[in-house]
Amino acid sequence: MAVIEVNNLRLTYRVLMNRSGSLKELFRDAIKGRVRINNFVALDDISFTLEKGEVLAILGRNGAGKSTLLKVLAKVLPPTEGTVKVEGAIAPMIELGAGFHPELTGTENVLFYSTLMGRDIRKTRAKLVEIGEWAEVTDHMEFPLRTFSSGMVARLAFATATSETAEILLVDEILSVGDAGFREKSKNRLLELIDSGAAVVLVSHDMSAVRSLATRAIWLESGKVKMSGNPKEVVSAYEKSFL
Amino acid sequence: MQSLQLIRLLVDRELTLRYKRSVIGIGWTLLNPMLTSLILWWVFSSIFASRLPDGTQFAPYLIAGVLVSAFVSQGITSAAEAVAGNGSILTKVFVRPQIFTISSAMASLVNFAIGMIPFIAVVYVSGQTLAWTFPLVFVVGFFLALFIAGVGLMCSILFIRFDDSRNIIALVLMILTYLTPIFYPISMLSETMQNVVNANPFTSYLNCIRWAASDNSSATLTNWIVVVATGLIMPAIGTLVFKKFWPRTVALF
Repeated sequence: MAVIEVNNLRLTYRVLMNRSGSLKELFRDAIKGRVRINNFVALDDISFTLEKGEVLAILGRNGAGKSTLLKVLAKVLPPTEGTVKVEGAIAPMIELGAGFHPELTGTENVLFYSTLMGRDIRKTRAKLVEIGEWAEVTDHMEFPLRTFSSGMVARLAFATATSETAEILLVDEILSVGDAGFREKSKNRLLELIDSGAAVVLVSHDMSAVRSLATRAIWLESGKVKMSGNPKEVVSAYEKSFL
Repeated sequence: MQSLQLIRLLVDRELTLRYKRSVIGIGWTLLNPMLTSLILWWVFSSIFASRLPDGTQFAPYLIAGVLVSAFVSQGITSAAEAVAGNGSILTKVFVRPQIFTISSAMASLVNFAIGMIPFIAVVYVSGQTLAWTFPLVFVVGFFLALFIAGVGLMCSILFIRFDDSRNIIALVLMILTYLTPIFYPISMLSETMQNVVNANPFTSYLNCIRWAASDNSSATLTNWIVVVATGLIMPAIGTLVFKKFWPRTVALF
């Protein structure tokens, strides 16, 4: 059963030329008839489907539209044309700890972050100990987040995001944070979730992670699909383009 | 269900953060309007106090005005900023942005309610008593919070799109503040100006709050209709405008 179905997705940004983000100047330009609107195409004619248990890797250089695509799948950005169907609970890991606040305690941040992702706060409360243990920050949970090291913050965010089984995981470059131990641990957690039937969309520049995790790959260039299919083939073609 | 939990968390969070950051904590909410009122009282009591209608005490009249105007201008600004300043969350996680605006407006309502403590003290010190209608203050406050959320939603779109809109909104809010009878009695204005000030919806909210709190002003039926109507219509308009522009605005973060 397809959990993600994307058909002819197109996403354009409207950009005001000589835009400076100022109402005053927009007003002046409007009077002089100098307002020009350009459409910047961020994603063009993208189609794919993703089944349960599949891992789709999205490759591409900076600015190719990888993160934009993830944001569309996360329902944050609405598509300009085409249809995007995403069925099931999403664990958006586009940025670990989006909404974490340094002045609030570990516990407060975990509760806020998971409620933000649409989870029931009572369920999260019951899992607090488990989350703290996985992240190895049990003794720090009642201290403000600013006293945490960046590795601790990353572990706490990852533990929170993956504490509940989700049908779809959207993962953007988060496997590259933290030390080797954390990378290994988080990779294993991802594999567990995939085994339990989750579908993963993975954006990463870490080609060895893509090779070992992905079951399919899409190579984006300037918002268009340049190549898609078997991850090993796509990765080697992508790597050759740098030579 | 989850939305309500999130609203509670956001209100908690906004209040906690506001008070954790300052040395005197929650005292600031009490001190700020008191100091403003004290200065205004010191400057204006000799001019305006004698021109108020009989039975109206200047001190509670003034502090009610200061509290409502702070509620309005800080409320609208922070409601708009609740969306405009949280781009890092709204572009990473699917969550309805309106929840942030509503939570901010509710946090402002809580602040306003805390401000009622010094207000009550001033009412008794100046020899008045609270009216039995006092609980209505919070009902009017609730409608004002809805109004603020509606305006805040529209302003948030402007804040994200245009950097200078913050200054323009601040200016508009200042003009509206002076067009609300905060420290002057409306009766001393010319007839044209009285019409202008009465057309300002905040005047209606203030009249109703003053009347309900300590019978310290009169509120007309029109005032009450304006309170209920704008309190219900503004969030609807705000949501419509917001929904129309949000899809294109979210891409600008």
